[in-house]
Amino acid sequence: MREMPESVAINVDGKLLTVERGVSILQVAQKNNIYIPTLCAHKDLTSFGGCRMCIVEVDGMRGFPTACTTPVENGMVIRTDTPQIKTERIEILRLLLSEHPSSCLICDEKDECRQYMGTIRKAGVTTGCRYCPKDGQCELQQVVEASGLNEINYPIRYRNLPVEKDDPFYDRDYNLCILCGRCVRICKEIRGANIIVFKERGRHTLIGPAYDRSHLDAGCEFCGECVSVCPTGALSEKANKWKGLFDREQNSTCAYCGIGCQMRLLIKEDEIIGSLPAEDPVVSNGQLCVKGRFCVTELVNNHRRLKKPYKAENGNKLEIFWGEAIELAAEKLSACSPELFGMLVSPNCCNEDLYVAQKFARVAMASNNVDTSARLFYGPGFNDYLNLMRMSVPLSDIRKASTIFCIGLDTRFGRSVVGVELRKAINRGAKLITVHPRHHNLAIIAEKWIQPVPGTEANLFKALASLTEKDRRGKLPPPSEGETGNFFEELSEVAGMAKEASHPVILVGSRYLSCNDSPQILESIAKLARNINAGVLPLPAHNNLFGSILMGAYPEILPGGFSAGNRNKRDELKTLWGTEVPNFSPVWTADTLLSGFRTKVLYLIGEVPSRNPPPSDFVIFQNIYPPDSMFEADIVLPSTAFTETDGTFINGEGRIQRIRKAVHPRGEALPDWEIICRIAQKMGKSGFDFSSVFEIHEEISRLVNGFSDFDNPERKAGRLACEAELLSPQTRFSGDINVDTEFPLLLVTSIVEHTYLGFPLSAWVEGLRPLFAEGIVDINPEDAERGKIMEGDEVVVTSPHFEKVLRARIMKAQPQGILDATVDQGESLVPNPTPVRIRKKDV
Amino acid sequence: MNNGLNFRQLEETKAQILLSRAAWKSSITVCGGTGCHAQGGTKIVQAFREEIKNQVLDGSVELRTTGCHGFCEQGPIVVIHPEGIFYSRLKAEDVPEVVTETIVNNRIVERLLYTVPKKKQRIISEKDVPFYQKQKRVVFAHNGLIDPTDIRDYIALDGYQALVKTLQAMTPEDVIAEIKASGLRGRGGAGFPTGRKWESCRSAVSDTKYIICNADEGDPGAFMDRSLLEGNPHSVIEGMIIGGYAMGASAGYIYVRLEYPIAVKNVKIALQQAKEYRLLGESVLGSDFSFDIHVFQGAGAFVSGEETSLMASIEGRRAFPRPRPPFPTQAGLWGKPTSINNVETWANVPHIIARGADWYSSIGTQTSKGTKIFSLVGKINNTGLVEVPMGTTLREIIYDIGGGIKGRRKFKAVQTGGPSGGCIPEDMLDLPIDYETLAKAGSIMGSGGMIVMDTDTCMVDLARYFLNFTQEESCGKCIPCRIGTTQMVEILTRITEGKGEEGDIERLESLAKTIKTHALCGLGQTAPNPVLTTLRYFRHEYEAHINKKSCPAAVCRALVEYRVVPDRCTGCQRCVAACPTGAITGPRAKAHNLDPTKCIKCRACYQVCRRDAIAGDAIKIVPRREVTDARDA
Repeated sequence: MREMPESVAINVDGKLLTVERGVSILQVAQKNNIYIPTLCAHKDLTSFGGCRMCIVEVDGMRGFPTACTTPVENGMVIRTDTPQIKTERIEILRLLLSEHPSSCLICDEKDECRQYMGTIRKAGVTTGCRYCPKDGQCELQQVVEASGLNEINYPIRYRNLPVEKDDPFYDRDYNLCILCGRCVRICKEIRGANIIVFKERGRHTLIGPAYDRSHLDAGCEFCGECVSVCPTGALSEKANKWKGLFDREQNSTCAYCGIGCQMRLLIKEDEIIGSLPAEDPVVSNGQLCVKGRFCVTELVNNHRRLKKPYKAENGNKLEIFWGEAIELAAEKLSACSPELFGMLVSPNCCNEDLYVAQKFARVAMASNNVDTSARLFYGPGFNDYLNLMRMSVPLSDIRKASTIFCIGLDTRFGRSVVGVELRKAINRGAKLITVHPRHHNLAIIAEKWIQPVPGTEANLFKALASLTEKDRRGKLPPPSEGETGNFFEELSEVAGMAKEASHPVILVGSRYLSCNDSPQILESIAKLARNINAGVLPLPAHNNLFGSILMGAYPEILPGGFSAGNRNKRDELKTLWGTEVPNFSPVWTADTLLSGFRTKVLYLIGEVPSRNPPPSDFVIFQNIYPPDSMFEADIVLPSTAFTETDGTFINGEGRIQRIRKAVHPRGEALPDWEIICRIAQKMGKSGFDFSSVFEIHEEISRLVNGFSDFDNPERKAGRLACEAELLSPQTRFSGDINVDTEFPLLLVTSIVEHTYLGFPLSAWVEGLRPLFAEGIVDINPEDAERGKIMEGDEVVVTSPHFEKVLRARIMKAQPQGILDATVDQGESLVPNPTPVRIRKKDV
Repeated sequence: MNNGLNFRQLEETKAQILLSRAAWKSSITVCGGTGCHAQGGTKIVQAFREEIKNQVLDGSVELRTTGCHGFCEQGPIVVIHPEGIFYSRLKAEDVPEVVTETIVNNRIVERLLYTVPKKKQRIISEKDVPFYQKQKRVVFAHNGLIDPTDIRDYIALDGYQALVKTLQAMTPEDVIAEIKASGLRGRGGAGFPTGRKWESCRSAVSDTKYIICNADEGDPGAFMDRSLLEGNPHSVIEGMIIGGYAMGASAGYIYVRLEYPIAVKNVKIALQQAKEYRLLGESVLGSDFSFDIHVFQGAGAFVSGEETSLMASIEGRRAFPRPRPPFPTQAGLWGKPTSINNVETWANVPHIIARGADWYSSIGTQTSKGTKIFSLVGKINNTGLVEVPMGTTLREIIYDIGGGIKGRRKFKAVQTGGPSGGCIPEDMLDLPIDYETLAKAGSIMGSGGMIVMDTDTCMVDLARYFLNFTQEESCGKCIPCRIGTTQMVEILTRITEGKGEEGDIERLESLAKTIKTHALCGLGQTAPNPVLTTLRYFRHEYEAHINKKSCPAAVCRALVEYRVVPDRCTGCQRCVAACPTGAITGPRAKAHNLDPTKCIKCRACYQVCRRDAIAGDAIKIVPRREVTDARDA
């Protein structure tokens, strides 16, 4: 039974109030609409008491206590707005403004200037409000204007601190910093990352990472929380620095990974100018990662966005009207037989797009040849990953866990929202065990970090699953089925911890999904989870992987997650769709495509299977960006990004979440579902006369549970209900992975995971390039020295099966003898890991 | 003796120690305080050890390195017992003579005796030294008698008897009542009634409580706490154990500033020995009270002497103060009720318990009881540590104990309370020292720093010096202190550079008011005090600087010029030798020549010349003429 908080009676400015005991005077004022100016206080942070703006008079307390730090007591008499308080506040503000560029605050012309002097903003040095990116949005400006200050009679000192622009995503002009400490507190108290601190003292006091490191070096996650709480223009987001205040907001869901954080899109004049976290106790708790926070604006506004359809003929690009485009596409598709048709649709698309896409393949093309690129990403482990999704638990289970396993997970950039939960859990006393081949951000907070040699992971996890079996008695015999590395004792210890854990959870990151042995690894993880009764949290890289399965965008799966061979379901669909569901085999998948099988028409919806021209007579490329940096498609159709359409995603926890149209599509772009429907209708096919997303959603609700309320979905977590089994792809490789004298190093490749609609995010967002480096190979300094390779050199990496040129990045943290490279999904037809040799490329 | 004692055994131990020392014929105590240490103290000890061995005196002569004797001006100090023969300014070369003459042959070495300046009177016995005569040494009494690294010395002088009395005969409430009745007030500066603080901590509801000894002593020129911790750490430890018992605390922390390595070393040795004697740890002296003390070192910041930032520092955070409420006795270290007291406060506790509150409150004034240790420094003949009853006048301290102003200048002012305090001019020297009278005069008691200034001191420059100190040490958290003190320093600097403007005094006063009213912690709230008191008593100096661009004390470099007075100069060339830039030239026996373009106004020539009783002021520092000079900035 919760005890009622004791309430106290107080007098504020003559008004009698009954309030909860122990809250601060400031909290009482804010709840009761009494204005008290603040600069360093923030509702989510502990009180600081440094700015002295919120001073009040309290009978019986000498001087002017600060409202943010003073708890209410019974009988307190408080005055918030006397003439003396006003005078004192102005005096303190004068001191503050003697060190903060203040010319515009006290200038007589300020109101006229604001109207006419818009162009002087980008002068480079902020000496006043008009020159400041935060003009009109600055809390200091508001406090000064409310105070009535109109002159500063102290000598003004411009501190002449450097403006720091070298780190990505946000600039730091410390001349504008008022040392309120909000950024320090939010990084420590809410995010738990502790990257920025107060440095020095006296008049030299500064804020920044300790030891003058850059934010990148200091471990900053670029979550942007510091930028969001900064009351002045000291921290300003690079992408929208000079845009000014937004006109309106729209709540939506992030499309960049399977967590599905809730965000607020900021809009000005039909343009997205920023994205901020939305308060959301269900999934993201008011947090975002660097992708959601900083990579929406640039991605959706890049000038290369497709605005008009075009066709390619004889190497020339011709812009055409939608009518012609649809007709051309319909013509080619009508003339294509079902077996020679192929469709790849992105697991980033919303459910409604995916449903219509697979319906098009099955109904309009009478073909079962529909697949997503998730097949390429998960490779042979796809089925086992699905198994983990069938065992999933909500993210909030982290809060109950005493022991948390993280497998191949790094939460510094992507998934940093989960990282915040992990740090909170550790502060509560939970223990974290992490398995990862390289130094990663969880290593410093983990109780145990297991760092397996690449290639030995399958045995390691098998042993761990084995050691945690419930009926295990006696000592485990020494490993006979291959090496587990040096980890035998460690594994026994970990197994012990696992068995004693209460409510353990296992988080699965992407690191081990690209290896040869991923099926065995994922299978062992499932076994381990069953043995110790752990909840599994697969954290899919694709925001709507779950949805793509439930919508049936795979040859083996029908809408609802049913097997393509399910007789009853086929009949049901036949009734609903009016046509026979095409036959199950022979199966065409994305692997078939990459293995060279030539289609007559290939319909790519938000997909870029590889950097090479896909084998097809006619390629329809439907996306938000053109493919022409890689290959030329025959017809290119502009579609909408997730900010320009309504729809639903299903996150990794199984929650159905809404995306909401925030701005109009660019140019003549149309939502994916609408383009597909127009083509189908042109082909004379029925069942595609949807006039809105809502109608599609309605049809889905007849086939899939939980799709009832489109406007405000219930967002209930649930395990993947999919009876279908995916076919194992042909093993891409079998053979030896031991190094020898000819191939003395081991190369581990990971498939690029931070993508949207087939393109890596860093293609369109420059700030991501230092964070997610691509086309590079990480080399240990000693290995580099042996090959006389310097930072940035092009190196030729040769294996028994391929040769590749990559740029070298020398990393001390890279284990010796091992190379790490990230490759596009189409390139992953290599054994992984594989023995290689490297040499510097001849110039 | 080392297996942990109970009450009875402590008494027996003391008897045993005294017995074992009865055989000593002589006891040589060498001051081991930081000051004497720096002047070659360790070499002197080494020399004595060798000489005693050479002359085969082991067994009958005891050599002991003690805590600070307090008369730092005269260090290195050696006192020979039982006579109490007081030798000062000793060098290692003097040691063989001392051993032979004084120890073996019972003769005094005259040249090593202390001479009262201007009286040419040599003093033989320590008790006759005027510096000590007017002091009432209670807390400091045993500093010169015990070796701080040997607990037996402390026990031999009734050490830990107060603790025995506490554990055997008093309840925690009894202890608190006694401290309250004694009238003991915090010696760290604020003067808060200690008994009330302890009572507040005791009445807080928590199963974990802490006590802290604040040894962060940051005032420039203050070294009382250092000498106590170096010289008699057990007195502090005993006080803390008694306090822990009274308040129900489970552990105590001694927060020592980083710059006191000898204090840290000696405290740690003392704690270790106390543990061995079962005075700390599980079941103190066999009672059911358990207590432990940890040492924590600071990291070089003045602000960490402020109680809330001190606690932040112990918790591993940046030493930022925080507003109160909650007060430390409600929620302090790690959120638990905590009582923070100064070193000297803790050291008073055993005396109060042993001799009673009535005895203690009979010393001092109506509102300020007991004694206070002051570090008497500056332009004074006898610098050192002085312990006097509250109510002693400033005049007594400065003249009777301090021996008056050094050199030929006159008294100008005395600064009490360090950078948080204020200056007191000559016409207030008969002020009896206590918390209230000093506050009324515009100053504070502070931790006990007492800096004496003569007429060669510029009060504006002094204010600038102190404010510069507090500005640099400001933690940077709140606007009034961080920026307000910067503005004040800027104004003061301008004034001392001859760039003072009309309205500067009013600006200083206005800033001072803002900072005092709104600063978050004591550092900021007291930072303007030096300016306010110098304005109060020496306003004319400010006005001279601003209006006439002149420095009456001839200190501020931009406002003065150095000149040779030809008819006073004897041509002795001492200033020529002293000048670092060769600004003074001139042949012997002829009046010297001073080139103002080379003069950097370092005062070297002035000080050298002043010493000469014959020439006397052949170098004058005068207000600067309006000179159009390449140097004019």
